[in-house]
Amino acid sequence: MSKGRALRTGRGSGAALTAALLLSVPCTAPAQQAEDPSPHSDATLVSEVRAVTPGRSFTVALRLTMDPGWHSYWINPGDAGGTTTLDWTLPQGFSAGEIQWPHPRRIEAPPLASYGYDGQVLLLVDIEPPPQLEQGSTVRLAARADWVVCEEICLPATADVELELPVRAGPPHPDTDWATAIERTRRLLPQPAPDWDFTAWRDAAGFVLEIEAPEAALERFDGAYFFAARASTIRHAAPQPVVRDGGRVRISLPASEYLHGAVERLRGVLLAPPGAVWPVAGGSPALAVDAPVTIGPVAATGPVTFWVALLFALVGGLILNLMPCVFPVLSIKVLGFVQQGGASGAAVRAHGLAFAGGVIASFLALGAALLVIRAGGTLVGWGFHLQSPAVVGVLAALFFVLGLGLLGVLQPGTSLTRLGGILGAPDGYGSSFAAGVLATIVATPCIAPLMGAALGFALTRPPLQTLFVFGALGVGMSLPYAVLSARPQLLSRLPRPGAWMETVRQVLAFPLFATSLWLLWVFGRQTGVDGVTYLLVALLSLGVAAWVLWRWPSASTHGRRYAVSRAAVAAAVTLAVVAGVRGAGSRAEAEPDELWRAFSAAQVAAETAAGRPVFIDFTAAWCLTCKVNERVVLETDEILEAFEARDVALFKADWTRQDADITRALEAFGRTGVPLYVLYPGGPERAPVLLPTILTKEILLTALEDI
Amino acid sequence: MRRARVSLVCLAAAGLLAAPALRAQEAAWEIGQPAPEFTLPDTYGEEHALTDYRGQWVVLEWLNYECPYVRKHYNSGNMQSLQSAYGEKGVVWLAIVSSAPGKQGYHEPDEMNALSQEKGSAAKAVLLDPAGNVGHLYGAQTTPQMIVIDPDGTLLYNGAIDDRPTARLSDIEGAHNYLAAALDEAMAGQEVSVPTSQPYGCSVKYAR
Repeated sequence: MSKGRALRTGRGSGAALTAALLLSVPCTAPAQQAEDPSPHSDATLVSEVRAVTPGRSFTVALRLTMDPGWHSYWINPGDAGGTTTLDWTLPQGFSAGEIQWPHPRRIEAPPLASYGYDGQVLLLVDIEPPPQLEQGSTVRLAARADWVVCEEICLPATADVELELPVRAGPPHPDTDWATAIERTRRLLPQPAPDWDFTAWRDAAGFVLEIEAPEAALERFDGAYFFAARASTIRHAAPQPVVRDGGRVRISLPASEYLHGAVERLRGVLLAPPGAVWPVAGGSPALAVDAPVTIGPVAATGPVTFWVALLFALVGGLILNLMPCVFPVLSIKVLGFVQQGGASGAAVRAHGLAFAGGVIASFLALGAALLVIRAGGTLVGWGFHLQSPAVVGVLAALFFVLGLGLLGVLQPGTSLTRLGGILGAPDGYGSSFAAGVLATIVATPCIAPLMGAALGFALTRPPLQTLFVFGALGVGMSLPYAVLSARPQLLSRLPRPGAWMETVRQVLAFPLFATSLWLLWVFGRQTGVDGVTYLLVALLSLGVAAWVLWRWPSASTHGRRYAVSRAAVAAAVTLAVVAGVRGAGSRAEAEPDELWRAFSAAQVAAETAAGRPVFIDFTAAWCLTCKVNERVVLETDEILEAFEARDVALFKADWTRQDADITRALEAFGRTGVPLYVLYPGGPERAPVLLPTILTKEILLTALEDI
Repeated sequence: MRRARVSLVCLAAAGLLAAPALRAQEAAWEIGQPAPEFTLPDTYGEEHALTDYRGQWVVLEWLNYECPYVRKHYNSGNMQSLQSAYGEKGVVWLAIVSSAPGKQGYHEPDEMNALSQEKGSAAKAVLLDPAGNVGHLYGAQTTPQMIVIDPDGTLLYNGAIDDRPTARLSDIEGAHNYLAAALDEAMAGQEVSVPTSQPYGCSVKYAR
């Protein structure tokens, strides 16, 4: 037999009868319980062939028919309802493919909208029979279908459907009725559009889907609609405004309230306006969309590939060496090379490689930590460890003590290489490795311009690729050291060691104090004046401890004097720890700012929806580049006047302390760190512009011209 | 056995009623922000204000006893055991019915009490929101939909009860329960790893 049939019993005219009976029941009476397993709908299994040809795949369909007004649902049901599933029971050797869904219709029930079908729908499934089948036998294809039908209310439905087909060799044996219906349904499947280019990016309101299409298609977007294949991606009930820009159109897709975390690709179906078809081969009302979600319109022209990201990371790492916060370590290490110049070339090379190893290992550890935390779902980003006052406090104290050491207070005659050796054996390869680790820790707040994109890329990739990118950052940063140590003849150009080194050593204490000062300021921003005062008390105590150790060194102090002095050191260090912990626990009062409002995604969305241009400054106290940009560009009269002239709403997203909202906003722009400058030209449909990390007045003024 | 409670009469009645215009109001909730304040009467006429429960953990459950997705969680005993388990830990569990009069899920208070008793509900109270105001404030789309509010009144979770968007009882086992995970994490002082997810179920039967 070739006709499908549903095994369930008793429906047919039942619905009308039930309805008639129910009409006599008062509304609040206990609801009638119907026995119908598939209320208001019917399921059968149909096939495009009358007989199975061994080894030749064919298509069957779950045919759902719904009473007028009732719907079944697409793979993403939208705001309510549920999708349809098939659980197959097939003869030995047979396999069934995934359901091929014809494009759905949007079922509006303000404030909600669902995606589904009414009337009749065929859900197609390809069946693959084995190459050997006994001639003249009969095969039985069976499935349990579960679906949901909703009108105003929703009802679950189920049916065991089956189909028996004879096995016959030779050419296919089409079932004329259902072959036609299945062919018609195939035209409703989303088609690929090889000549079209789909890209997408996140903005504060949601997603922008940009489509580059042939001219003939561009005129047909009025009334087009994008169905997202996954729930909690876009807001199903929201309008999707379309803007045309030359050879492209952009569709704004407001984000679902229930969206959480990063979206790497926007997948779904682009449906042409009612009655229209897209000009692709054969003409189709629906196109399959699979768009990478990139970091922003600036990068929309070409997604960052893995190799480009590696290169960016390498160059970014190199640039890190020029950043002010790495400078003290760099200069110290160069002096370290001078000292090592006396040793053998192989030893120098080994020191260089150990240092490089320390840097690379630290970056890998950072990457791994970030992956672990990302896996844990916590919203953190680059520079996150400087968001913790405890870490900032410890670093400030560390640099203060290192500075004292360089001045000669801590240990007379301390060699410069011991600076890095605080974590390892003096002058050993361990100390070079430790120096590499230290260099990495101080480098993190300085995001080189190229690193933003690479890191944003890394965090949306599989863990192994992320680690490669972090590794490349480390390689980039340690490259100059490795080169210097591999070519010792370059070292010989450096000055010979001598008395001048003592002077240089003392002078180098001051950059360290300056770094400590800067960290104190960051700490102050985080914890307020009380917090920073506690930390200064901690530094004073550490200073006393260091002085005691210098005044009564172990080598020449014995007996009671030794015991008393070491007890004093212990007391001072304890006091430092207690004061530091108290300081880190303090909280800064938020400073009111008249010009700049504190960042809020909702307020930004409200301003852009009202057509007002918006500028967002993503910043943090510990980010030097941010502070430089603010002093030199953003807070100059010229720029502030330009903002005022165009009535730009100004927002400051201060990431000095961990803030989940800001982390999420940065992530939405594909970034994991600050600075980031975003300009919304005003109007809900215009894409935001990401400005360069190193900002100039000219760049900002030019960007403002365009709004 | 699958049952269907068909209330075509209610639909017909709803169609005949002059439909009040639906407020095109945007949901006022945001994760990590103060949960929207409300005061609602329960089925015994007692008023409950969210502010009454400062200092306590609060769960809001959007409820419609006739919805198959809600029945999945009540007929399996899943919802009741969550209600008792977290009730014992001091969590205030409030079920909210935002169905409009005449629509599915709406019942007069006495009937609602009888239904709650029949189902063995262990919620602290069933609150009545026939105008749908509180439902709209929290953007409640479906029944069930679950909300977690911390003792400071901050919204920590809004979304589905678990990760199996079906009406099948057999899908309770093996599902990842987002609500329980959010409560466990938050009550242990951790950040909620999944603070929101697409709610699934029947649409909330708001007044039109």
